[in-house]
Amino acid sequence: MFAMKLSRNHPQKAARILVGALVFAGGLTAFATPTNKAALERHYDKFLTKKLSRCTTCHLPSAVKEPESLDDFPHNPFGDRLRVIGEELVSAGKVKDIAVRLALVAREDSDGDGFDNETELLAGANPGDATQTPSTAQMAEVKERAAAFGKFLASYRWQPFERVRRPEIPAVKNAGWVRMPIDAFIAAGHEERGLSPRPEAPKSILLRRVYLDLIGLSPTPEEQRAFDEDSSSDAYEKVVDRLLADPRYGERWARHWMDVWRYSDWAGWTDGKQVRDSARHIWRWRDWIVESLNADCGYDEMVTDMLAGDERAPDDPDALRATGFLVRNFKMLSREQWLEDTVKHTGQAFLGITIGCAKCHDHRTDPISQAEYYQMRAVFEPHQVRTDRVPGELDREKDGLPRVYDVGTDAPTYFLVRGDERRPDKDRVMQPAVPGALCGDKLKPALDVVPVNLSRAAAAPDRREFVIADTIAASEQELAKAREVMGKPDAVKEHELALAIAEAKHAALLAVIRAERIEDAGKKEGDEWKGAAKDVALKQSNVAVGEARLALYHTTLAQQEAQRAGDALPPPTESDLPDPYRAARDQAEAAAKKTVEAALALAKAEEQMKAEPTTAFKPRPKEDYPATSTGRRLAFAKWIANADNPLTARVAMNHLWLRHFGRGIVATPENFGTNGARPSHPALLDWLASEFTASGWKMKPMHRMIATSRTYRMASTLDESDAKIDPDDIALWRMPTRRMEAELVRDNLLYVSGALDLMRGGPDIDNMQGLASKRRSIYLRTAAEKEVEFLKIFDGPSVNECYQRHPTVLPQQSLALANSELTQAQAKALAKQLGDDAEAFVRGSFQRVLARVPTEEELRTCREFLSKASDGGRARENLILVLFNHNDFVTIR
Amino acid sequence: MTPENNPHRCAGISRRSFLADTGMGLTGMVLGSMLFRDGARAEESAWRPPDGRPHFLPKAKSVIWIFLCGGVSHLESFDVKPTLNQYAGKSIEETPFKGVLATAEKDIVGGNPAHGNRKVIMPLQTGYKAYGDSGLVVGDWFQNIGSCADDLAVVRSLWTIHNDHGAQLTWQTGRHPRELNHPTLGAWVCYGLGTMNQNLPEYVVLGVPTGDCCGGAFTHGAAYLGSEYSGVRLGIDPQKPLPFIRPSDAAVTAEEQLQNLSLLGKLNTLAGIDYPDDQDLRARIKSYELAFQMQTSIPEVMQLEKESAATTALYGIDKPESKAFGERCLVARKLVERGVRFVQLFHGGGGGGEWDAHADIKANHGKLAQQVDQPIAGLLKDLQQRGLLDDTLVVFGTEFGRTPGAEGTGRDHHPQGFSAWLAGGGIKGGIAHGATDELGFHAVENRHYVTDIHATVMQLMGLDSYRLEVPGRKRLEIDHGQPISEIIA
Repeated sequence: MFAMKLSRNHPQKAARILVGALVFAGGLTAFATPTNKAALERHYDKFLTKKLSRCTTCHLPSAVKEPESLDDFPHNPFGDRLRVIGEELVSAGKVKDIAVRLALVAREDSDGDGFDNETELLAGANPGDATQTPSTAQMAEVKERAAAFGKFLASYRWQPFERVRRPEIPAVKNAGWVRMPIDAFIAAGHEERGLSPRPEAPKSILLRRVYLDLIGLSPTPEEQRAFDEDSSSDAYEKVVDRLLADPRYGERWARHWMDVWRYSDWAGWTDGKQVRDSARHIWRWRDWIVESLNADCGYDEMVTDMLAGDERAPDDPDALRATGFLVRNFKMLSREQWLEDTVKHTGQAFLGITIGCAKCHDHRTDPISQAEYYQMRAVFEPHQVRTDRVPGELDREKDGLPRVYDVGTDAPTYFLVRGDERRPDKDRVMQPAVPGALCGDKLKPALDVVPVNLSRAAAAPDRREFVIADTIAASEQELAKAREVMGKPDAVKEHELALAIAEAKHAALLAVIRAERIEDAGKKEGDEWKGAAKDVALKQSNVAVGEARLALYHTTLAQQEAQRAGDALPPPTESDLPDPYRAARDQAEAAAKKTVEAALALAKAEEQMKAEPTTAFKPRPKEDYPATSTGRRLAFAKWIANADNPLTARVAMNHLWLRHFGRGIVATPENFGTNGARPSHPALLDWLASEFTASGWKMKPMHRMIATSRTYRMASTLDESDAKIDPDDIALWRMPTRRMEAELVRDNLLYVSGALDLMRGGPDIDNMQGLASKRRSIYLRTAAEKEVEFLKIFDGPSVNECYQRHPTVLPQQSLALANSELTQAQAKALAKQLGDDAEAFVRGSFQRVLARVPTEEELRTCREFLSKASDGGRARENLILVLFNHNDFVTIR
Repeated sequence: MTPENNPHRCAGISRRSFLADTGMGLTGMVLGSMLFRDGARAEESAWRPPDGRPHFLPKAKSVIWIFLCGGVSHLESFDVKPTLNQYAGKSIEETPFKGVLATAEKDIVGGNPAHGNRKVIMPLQTGYKAYGDSGLVVGDWFQNIGSCADDLAVVRSLWTIHNDHGAQLTWQTGRHPRELNHPTLGAWVCYGLGTMNQNLPEYVVLGVPTGDCCGGAFTHGAAYLGSEYSGVRLGIDPQKPLPFIRPSDAAVTAEEQLQNLSLLGKLNTLAGIDYPDDQDLRARIKSYELAFQMQTSIPEVMQLEKESAATTALYGIDKPESKAFGERCLVARKLVERGVRFVQLFHGGGGGGEWDAHADIKANHGKLAQQVDQPIAGLLKDLQQRGLLDDTLVVFGTEFGRTPGAEGTGRDHHPQGFSAWLAGGGIKGGIAHGATDELGFHAVENRHYVTDIHATVMQLMGLDSYRLEVPGRKRLEIDHGQPISEIIA
């Protein structure tokens, strides 16, 4: 590739030439595949033959081995015409859009071989080369191809890298079917393909569907009855509103977003003394997600705080939790891997773009250069992780707030040759910026970076009042402990000395804090401070004296002990060598020496106390951090969380849709690029994205719109004629059947028997307690090598990445549901609650486990099962167990 | 061999009658008639679902499908190119073969910018030898497999359509990863022929499969054929062959389990009437039958300590570097011995794949080959000595080859030409079919897309892939591929 050669050998020059000559509206930096070539491919899509996806479609073959400018690589007549038209557009004040230019030259015959440009392009002959003309066979196909291409041009164009423009809501014949705008887009698809949508699902199915979908728990018999008896026209809408207001909604949807945002608890070895991945107490980020969703915070705010909460709200510990998104990437063993994961997954989670591919080379299919990869890395280069103290706990292994902060701009981001960390190109220091091709027509690749000044509390978190108060309280506790043992007969002297130390330490601590406060008030070196500092020095000397006294006491005791041991030896005999005596003597001498040293030390300490105090005291151990943050991440976050960003809202809405319907409009939610899947309903996704940003990025209204749509309320039953046309239900002629995610299987097993503990939030629960714990699954620890096996079997999220779940049906799942202690214990527990009457038992168990009443046939079958058994109690437990294993339990219809 | 005289086959039992007579007999239902695919749709056309009988005389009954993730260098394994030593350090343009860079029509993946920079030829990073009567040349990293050369049919002229590790999915389904999930070869084989042992999954996956980046679970999935034909992953740990293999409540008896299973089957049938095309329901019912049997069958298969020392040594299980893969190969043999239809054996899975030697290919391939060379050779020899090789088709593949030009000390991805080999049931041994050019760049002679391997396997298994096509699921000609008749005995 010509551009590749240029960029690799002369990157700076290449950038200059190509930016000048080849860039079209939208501002692609053109290191990669020449942008006009990519634009040509996009415009003609599948109608362009491979043979014409080449530089030579517009250029003459270069005579120069290493072409460096367009002089070396001139246009052919077709390319030249495009260039001229482009110049004309620019001078007329218009955007020289490639689609417009291609349309303008379509009917011209640039190479003068008697065939117009578009005919040649569609036939597969070079429109700039008169020696190439379509063959008779090719011409025979051109008419049909041209018609298909015309239809393609007229269809809704999927342009994920262009800013979202709100599409018209389509007018459809089946207008009565449309409840929500969504339905119009879906109905248009039905009509285009001759599909007839399924009718509304029966009430019981609809209720269970929407409960599991919105709060992840099945409706109780009371809730089933209430809905069944509510004949008002908005009975269903009321349920949806109630569920969206239910705090369990936040827990259900947090798990979805935790998949996308790669939630992971800490991983490491040696009982947690070595954290290798993520951080302890990262659960605070999980709780932030749950709370933010329940409060219906704007997605834009959430994204901003996850990327730069420490810069947007440096003094708000609630917002700092959000940066767990970045903290999660921490890798003790490799800063390189840490930053690589950060860049890659930030790109995939929020932008649906596989920017990680550009680490080692220009992206091979999407317009992202390797340089742009490192520009994005530069956004994150200054950040590090730390754990701040939280009120009530000084030991940060026990509790704390993991968060990110910037260490400054000292660490440069080098362009790594071939992505190899051993080969940084020191001449290329990359500045923070974003990929030009993802900017649409309103944003700029250069970031508006403004450094953020941080408060004293943010830069020196241990000077915060609660940390001081907790430190004093801890010291008081030590003091109280020392007082408590006083007077006990075992070691009176020792306790006295220890108490003296504790008292001196406490006094010294209070004095230090006093001096710090004066310093914090900006009065360091003033008289007040000097007095306070001397006071600290004096009190610290007092501690030293106390400690020296205790040391002397200990050495004296040891000396006496050594003496006694020597005296206790039996008298020496002829045969007994004098070794034990020598050893005892040595020990006694060593102990005596230590006593002398301790006495000297005490004398020195006492001397020190008598001396004139100075202001040189020992400050408290403290962690100080930079007083400014670079502002890079905040600038970057503002670019992402922006209605003009082409991808952010589209990607978010696709994730939402995927989780309501089991399939994304783009089936590859992490990849909206060329290698990703084509969307099933591009206009709908654009409409959703536009609606989302217009309504303040609030998710609940979008959920409501989807859940109350006619589309969502359809039955999932078969229509044979539809199934022939669209067997995969891509056009959504019925509601797709889904399987419960792993967490739902476990949560509902506990919930239907009334055992689920609905307490919200708090530290992660040991994954080995996965079957014993009664908490919701979202609270169970999940990290590399720390996963709950039961959840893994049901395709639980991979900790590495999980942009969507891929449910399977496997015998291991059958074994887990049939044999695990969880199902067996819950079957027993539920059986006890349902009484002895066979019919009531069967009805009750169906309502509890499957959220529906049994049919007559089911009732008969189950009663027969119960009546045949010799042990009725056991049979009832087995019936519940069978219902846990029923296809309808794990299935969401 | 015909199905009738196959000792591993339950006499006269077809897949369909298996469902009706045995499996579903247990739960007292006739599932076939309630299924849309088998029922309603079939009535309207001439189409019938497969009945488990081969379409013509099969030459093999089981497949062991070995897949090395990341891209094994064809140049230093089964398509050795001494020319690279001759021109080492020279640019491709300075050799008489510079034409390889300009063959546009062969550039099947479109512009791979990387190739512009991988022009300086790197010499072979290992030696090579000719083996056996056939004189087949194999790189020294694979000396043990080399010793089986007379059993191998190497295909040296493969090409694929993706220049990144998504090609791992392409190898299994024939499709580009952007087209998502399509049935894998294993799924097609099982769909066409069904099981020979109701106590074990018919499609077993061993080892760590392809990472999520590059196909993930799709690489052993069944897509529209339904989950019942997708691969079942099994771990190899005799202490814990399967989680939850026994009821946690020790008081549960087998009889009780059977009664529960019977009730479950009845209830699922009743509830499934409204959803006659629900493939997951069908798969779930089958998985319960299978799970019940697997409680006893799986621990038995995973008992490796009962194997003789000679056998474990044959597979390299006595050496730390080859222990893990040796155990997988041994289990693969035990599975086909017990009638498992398709065993998919992954090596180096997760992420892009371990064989992805962009840097220091010598260390990378050298180390990894030690992990697989003896186990795979041991598998071939063990199958041979037990008389199983005649019925078992062993296939060794990877997603693409590696560039003749250097990428530092490594080699880059190379989809334009690479190799695989087949051995066993119905395969001509000791031959190399097809060829790449002098530099190993393009497949030039008897070019084969990856689905030609699929077609060859289908042919040897007695299946006509066109007859298995499901209405409404038109497959392209390239999906079916063409059997490579030259390597079929």
